[in-house]
Amino acid sequence: MMFLGMRTTSLLALTLFLAAPRLPAGDGQLTGIIDSHIARLSGGSLSSPSDDAEFFRRIHLDLAGIIPSAGETREFLADASPGKRTVLADRLLGSKDFSVHWADLLSVELLKRQNLGKVQPREWQAFLRRCLEKKPQWNRIVHTMIAATGTGPDRAAMKFLGTGGHHQMTRDIAMLFLGMDLECARCHDHPSVKTWEQADYWGLYAYLNWTRAATNSKDKKEYLVEVLGKSEIEYQSVFESVSDTTGPRLPGLPEKTVPELAKGEEFSSPAANGLPPVPIFLPRKELAADLTSPKNLAFARNSVNRFWARLMGRGIIHPLDQVHPGNAPSHPQLLEEMAGLFISRDYDLKWLLRSILLSDSYQRSSRLSGKSATASPESYRQALPRALTPEQLLHSVLRATGNLEKTRGLKADPTKKFDRKGYFTGTHQELPESYEEIRAVFIQTFGQPPGEPETEFAPGLNQSLFLMNDRLLLSWLQPVDNNLVQRLGAFKTPAEISENLYLEVLSRLPTEAETTDLGLYLEKNGERRTAALGELAWALINSTEFRLNH
Amino acid sequence: MAAQNNPQTCLDPVHEMSRRRVLGVLGGLAGFGSLLNPSVSRALEKKEKQVCLIWLDGGISQYESWHPRPGTRFAGPFRSIPTRVPGVHFSELMQHTARIADKISVIRTMETKDPNHSTGVPRIQRGDPIDRGVLYPYLGSAVSKLLGPADPALPPYIWIKPGNGGFIHREAGFLGARHGALALGDGRPPVHIHRPSGISAENDTARNALRKKANERFRANRGAAEIDAYETSYEMAERLMARKEIFDESTLSQKDKERYGSHPLGRHILQARQLLEAGVRFIKVNSYHWDTHGDNFNMSQRLVPQVDRPFAALVEDLDERGMLDNVLVVVMSEFGRTPNVNSRMGRDHWPDCWSLALAGCGIRQGAIIGETAKDGAWVDGTGYDIGDLFHTIFTVLGIDSKRARYEHKGQKLAIAHDKCKSIREVML
Repeated sequence: MMFLGMRTTSLLALTLFLAAPRLPAGDGQLTGIIDSHIARLSGGSLSSPSDDAEFFRRIHLDLAGIIPSAGETREFLADASPGKRTVLADRLLGSKDFSVHWADLLSVELLKRQNLGKVQPREWQAFLRRCLEKKPQWNRIVHTMIAATGTGPDRAAMKFLGTGGHHQMTRDIAMLFLGMDLECARCHDHPSVKTWEQADYWGLYAYLNWTRAATNSKDKKEYLVEVLGKSEIEYQSVFESVSDTTGPRLPGLPEKTVPELAKGEEFSSPAANGLPPVPIFLPRKELAADLTSPKNLAFARNSVNRFWARLMGRGIIHPLDQVHPGNAPSHPQLLEEMAGLFISRDYDLKWLLRSILLSDSYQRSSRLSGKSATASPESYRQALPRALTPEQLLHSVLRATGNLEKTRGLKADPTKKFDRKGYFTGTHQELPESYEEIRAVFIQTFGQPPGEPETEFAPGLNQSLFLMNDRLLLSWLQPVDNNLVQRLGAFKTPAEISENLYLEVLSRLPTEAETTDLGLYLEKNGERRTAALGELAWALINSTEFRLNH
Repeated sequence: MAAQNNPQTCLDPVHEMSRRRVLGVLGGLAGFGSLLNPSVSRALEKKEKQVCLIWLDGGISQYESWHPRPGTRFAGPFRSIPTRVPGVHFSELMQHTARIADKISVIRTMETKDPNHSTGVPRIQRGDPIDRGVLYPYLGSAVSKLLGPADPALPPYIWIKPGNGGFIHREAGFLGARHGALALGDGRPPVHIHRPSGISAENDTARNALRKKANERFRANRGAAEIDAYETSYEMAERLMARKEIFDESTLSQKDKERYGSHPLGRHILQARQLLEAGVRFIKVNSYHWDTHGDNFNMSQRLVPQVDRPFAALVEDLDERGMLDNVLVVVMSEFGRTPNVNSRMGRDHWPDCWSLALAGCGIRQGAIIGETAKDGAWVDGTGYDIGDLFHTIFTVLGIDSKRARYEHKGQKLAIAHDKCKSIREVML
């Protein structure tokens, strides 16, 4: 009964919210544009708004990378103030959790879990977190990474370029910042995408092929330098015997002229400490500027498409690395307007995220409305479920089982060596004892191998086996240290147990049917009550509802 | 957030309904989408083609195995012995295989390009196709992609190896991680296949019933493919756990253990037989340290019998069980060893003329393929490249190797070297 009461309150709160005063002019502009385009092209009835619990869990996972605590959820559900969703979005966007979680997300996207170059992962994470605090401007962040040389306070930004492998840089930059998977175009015009030509690949390459990794003989550190080279690149299709040339050029834009400087006047500073002389014209630095310039609409379009997909579960152009005329956007006008406004707001990342988060489109329920059995995902008629990332899953399992604080504080014991491979084959019996190792175990199980992007939800046999049988995970369900299962044991009635269990694990109140079933299960297992509580918690941790951000 | 590899082949539609969302990841699930279609399960009642690749990493010496040349300048100390096939001799280190020589084919004129291990192993196991700027899959991943699982409850590609195991993706190349191997390190399956001792079968069923009930409720009014994919991954896990006895060596008879040998390679080939019987599509058995640059003869004396005994036993057992018509067995390395013996009594790398053995699945019986010259040092005439072997393997498995294509990012890619072709001489 309590559950019904709560739900009525939250619906009331939601109604009030929807009628709340408009946001300051300008701030709400994109939000309105989003909703009008989604409604216009919906092709069917839109799902009803998410209830407070659904919204609360979703936005926590999206911004803080973890499910909310039961206490936070209770408080939010009880809060009757009309603007509470907006207040929450702003609080989370300004939180430390946001910069930590989004540094993880960006790092996985940019490096694909590879440890590139010589910059320590810790310094790289710190760089990304710094970028995400306060008012991050996406064009500046990208500029910093592409122009990075390893000097100055943002030295760690050079990690994105790794050791400066020309083909790797070309591929990654085209894919991540232009949405173009140009791999095929290295050797010939793309066979199925007419507009992706070999010249596009080599034009981008021509910006990058002066770059080298070099060690400064004085401080022994590695830097990414540019060595004076040819102004034109010659390339040949594997299908033809004629070669072609190109200077630095971005797809769809004119070729850049490399200035011809008189001999002796090409350099701004001479060779020093084992590093080559610094040319006056630096193609990679030019790339950083040209790519992120407002004149390059492709960059802004690709950026908003990717951030949109993060929050909405799918790109307006999808797949994300197939940005070309043959792959039409689901909402072309929305994409253009969003890109335009992003530029006019100086690529303000938090403004973009906030505008999406506050839209009805983001805040819809993941359930289909009415009688419609299916809705195509590109209609965004309901919220699209997304798999939790390995990090989101680990932190959420820890929070749900009441082991978060304890586990996060676990430091590695330098005298013990945890053999992760042996752990998975059963030759190493001890459980991982440090937070870092536990995290690595989760990433190995739920992440993609280094070098492969983490996009699609492709749950594997190994993941299910892990969730079913991993001894570490099961140990978190043993009643100790006032964790979930121990606390549940202190409650008397099925209603109390059920309410707490569902709030802690699924971040919502249980339905009556769920409470009834739980009561029956406990009754049936009266003589092994603690074990039964662990099984009830295990079942929810293993449920689809938990595994997805829905 | 870039899209991931979504390669698709253009083969038999039966194997193509799998893929992508509905099940994926790490060999374990490649092609398991077919589970959802009952007609596919019926297809699996048929005799499926299977493969056991015995990989002798480092390079077995052809002179001390398939192609002895006693009395010549390149001979070692070992005699040659007659085999069941009149006129055909093997090294005396191959006495068990000599007994079953009438069931296998030996190709003595492999002529490949790469004399280095680091590049040779992947080059050979990928079939050395024309470079199209993509990383080709190893044979096991290729077959698992092209044919899918032979039994939908079992991973299509299992790799038995010394050392570590787990889900190993690196052999899948552009096919993507899901077509990697389930590796049994030292013959052991991944630890998570075992239910911890604290959980009884009854309680396990009960907790899974709770989980299923929760999913049923969540599903109402949600039609997402993600939900199907997630549930199916649990079904697969439950099925594999229910069949984990296929990894249990204790069910094997003592007599078999003696016949195959107690060393790792023998145990692992026996285990491969067990997995073939269970219905695994492709099994690779790895043995390391065949790189006999020094002390080749003592090392060969120790190593060669380790493959001789279990290989012969495997072929005999498959034949006895009527499985040899459908199971292909391959014994090979990345290259052979030099005719010349070096100053450390070793033989170095020799890709120019080397031998391998094949049996079953439409391979001729008792055939010796290829003539060598100069006391076995060189191919007499034209040798066979690894691309020819790949065409042969695909062909005997019923795959049209000249026409089948992988599809990768809009490119159609040949599954084996375009300019190579099947070795007709070795096929029935």
